[in-house]
Amino acid sequence: MMLSTITIYLHLPLMLLVISLVYSATRHEEWDEILIEAFRWGIRMFGFMFTVGAVLFGVSFLW
Amino acid sequence: MSSAPTAPPKDAPPEPSMLGAGLSYLIPGLGQIYQQRYAKGALFMVSLLGMFMVGQSMGQWQNVYIPREDGGGHRSLVGSLVLRWHYAGQFWIGVAAWPALSHYYGPPPRDVEENPSFWRRYQRPPGETQLNEFIVNSDRTPDLGWVYTVIAGMLNILVIYDAYAGPMILAVPTIPRKAAAPQPTMESKKEAVA
Repeated sequence: MMLSTITIYLHLPLMLLVISLVYSATRHEEWDEILIEAFRWGIRMFGFMFTVGAVLFGVSFLW
Repeated sequence: MSSAPTAPPKDAPPEPSMLGAGLSYLIPGLGQIYQQRYAKGALFMVSLLGMFMVGQSMGQWQNVYIPREDGGGHRSLVGSLVLRWHYAGQFWIGVAAWPALSHYYGPPPRDVEENPSFWRRYQRPPGETQLNEFIVNSDRTPDLGWVYTVIAGMLNILVIYDAYAGPMILAVPTIPRKAAAPQPTMESKKEAVA
């Protein structure tokens, strides 16, 4: 049960990479700028999702 | 006498291109390839179509559709989109989402098959019983699947804008930073006092 819950989120790192790369490529033309912006957005999105996940885990643990 | 045309500055936004935008709507990245921005075009095409297809496969290829019938007959497009708003986002991926429109506007299926082939059920609205069985018997994967297809469609709006007017950051005029004023030294302070 736990494993099946985790495995549906295995796509997420790849999706995070794709979304940040595509979004950054629509904002810049030069590849070094695109990659830097993509890295920044990747970190921001990962941080946001990690925080939400940690809060939900904490809430479920306390309940 | 003719003078050679001056090349536009590198950071200048390109001329708006309706053709590029239209091509990028049809197939993500095609407008950029037409504009000879091959690497970006390939990135958009592979990423967005890949994400859309992965999302569809997670929903067993039946999460991109427009419901066409209610109890009384053919439902209006607006009514269908209120019921199934996901398609308003999925539509922007372009040609890849057109089979759903074709099923919506096309003739109703003549017979309900037990196990229809892949192409017959591709983007066709699933039956209520089939949909309930699928949702009850699967984990959260189908939900994640339609999210991916909607994200791919929404991102393609940015790609269409990029093909129309170039990267967004070039459209914002950059303000050069002012040179920092030199800090006063002790000697200059003494001179000012004297």
